[in-house]
Amino acid sequence: MRIEAIALIAIALLLLTAGCTQPSGTTPTTAAPVKDLRIGYQPSTHQMAEITAMEKGWWQQDLAPLGVGNVSDKVFPSGPPEMAAMQAGELDVAYVGAAPVLTALATGLDARIVAGVNTQGSDLVVRNDLDYTGPQSLKGTTIATFPAGSIQDTVLKDWLTRNNLTPDKDVFIKGMAPGDAVTAIIAGKVEGIFLPTPSPSTVVNQGKGKIVVHSGEMYPNHTCCVLVVSGKLIREHPEIVRQIIATNDRAVAWNKLNRDEAAEIYAKKTSANVTDVKASLSEWDGDWASDPNVIVSPVLDYATIQYNLGYIKKPLTKEEIFDLTFYQKS
Amino acid sequence: MDEVSTIAGKVQRVKDHWPGILAIILTLIAWHCYAIFLIRNRFLLPGPVDVFFAFIALLQKGVLLSDFRVSLIHFAIGLGGALLIGIPIGIVMGWNSRMDAFLNPIIEILRPIPPLAWIPFAIIWFGFTPVSAGFVIFMGAVFPILINTYTGFRGVSRIFVEAGRMLGCTRTRDQIRYIAFPAALPSVISGIRIATGVGWMCLVAAELFGVSNNGLGKDLWFFYDLHQMDSVVVYMILLGLIGLVIDMIFRYYIEGRFLKWRTGEVA
Repeated sequence: MRIEAIALIAIALLLLTAGCTQPSGTTPTTAAPVKDLRIGYQPSTHQMAEITAMEKGWWQQDLAPLGVGNVSDKVFPSGPPEMAAMQAGELDVAYVGAAPVLTALATGLDARIVAGVNTQGSDLVVRNDLDYTGPQSLKGTTIATFPAGSIQDTVLKDWLTRNNLTPDKDVFIKGMAPGDAVTAIIAGKVEGIFLPTPSPSTVVNQGKGKIVVHSGEMYPNHTCCVLVVSGKLIREHPEIVRQIIATNDRAVAWNKLNRDEAAEIYAKKTSANVTDVKASLSEWDGDWASDPNVIVSPVLDYATIQYNLGYIKKPLTKEEIFDLTFYQKS
Repeated sequence: MDEVSTIAGKVQRVKDHWPGILAIILTLIAWHCYAIFLIRNRFLLPGPVDVFFAFIALLQKGVLLSDFRVSLIHFAIGLGGALLIGIPIGIVMGWNSRMDAFLNPIIEILRPIPPLAWIPFAIIWFGFTPVSAGFVIFMGAVFPILINTYTGFRGVSRIFVEAGRMLGCTRTRDQIRYIAFPAALPSVISGIRIATGVGWMCLVAAELFGVSNNGLGKDLWFFYDLHQMDSVVVYMILLGLIGLVIDMIFRYYIEGRFLKWRTGEVA
């Protein structure tokens, strides 16, 4: 009987504690200053603006007058784990592909896309011994790309389907981190990779593959990375959100004028080969663009594609994905 | 009279298991209360009801059975390889002190390397194949088997071997087969039991890098990438339950069959 008695007391205490504790979602009456603004990014030239702004100290410089104590950044191998970190409250701002944002928003992430980062900029690279003449040449091959729910996974599977190739039946898609994918094609264990820049140039420069399709050919002007801000920051510090977009634009403008120096800053921060980075910037089909109004339609298309793939359980509306007010005001 | 004793036996069994059943019920209630009243965020902690419905949805999709089958193939490759490599090397090192001195430094350098550190070479050597996942599981499972086999052989009493020689068992192969191996068997089997646990724990990481389109570990990561944490918990629970079943097979079948002679030695 003693065990049962202890157990019942434990349950009673638990219910009491649960009932008396303030729920985590309760909004405080006044917004506290932001002591540490945490930005997530990935080692891709798509997100060079974040790296330039951080390494040049512009985040700190521009946001300190608005009460931000410190700005830190954290690197992620791909979008899905970055969004998981944001959903767990570990990030305030994220440079991330639009597709993983959608799966996160569909499962309760309190955040919105406030600006674009870049369009296009991923490449399909196949081994030199594969005679590529069109999508049908990929039948029976294995392609390594980012994990399920990423931009690359979504664009690639959609493109294959539109070309009458069933993913994971006609073409085997393996989701993994970019480093694993590059290792796999160099070791000859997959026939192709579909990754954002600069990884395709790394493979090409090592003589282990050739770029056969740019992602812009698969899906013209498709959105890739976007700027996502937590709902808390949007509600409590709209002025900081506006400044984040302005600082991003400042870094983009500088990167466009100083490509070589920007490539060196990027290579130093990510330990990438600077030759590969410079090569990727000259041959990519992408563009850095922060206007979110032009990406609304492609992102809503992604939401439909993801819903059809069964990645999200309900279609998302424009209001559930975007907050376009900040860009217009910046 | 027999019926009465059968019913009494059943009642006794329920009484014996009552604390365990109560612990599970309480854990479910505590989990539900924390998820619903305290955390209130299905991503941070999905409740048992969410997990139950995710389980039903996965059953309806029909993926669980193929996941289970593929994972068992990966596990069988890894554990099979660990048995084939670990037991002979353990025997050689345990029986022959020169071989022990020769192989020991290599084993001791390789042993502390975490199985996950072998993933890059699993990709390079075996590509995205079941053998690649099996290799990662093998790296986790082989050392407990090897070390326990070695320890078992080192612990065989010299008296047993000398008595065997006196009775005409003079060939080394026969001494290993009929004297040392049976004496070392308790240690070998506990090594295999530890290895099954370690190997099963390596499964999730072994299926992380896209070795197959199915698998319990593979789909755990798949649903994590889609932020569907209720499905992630379903796979976690399944991994735990299957690991428990594997351990119970060892405890009640393998030990009961091969170590029956030990009954009564301690308990």
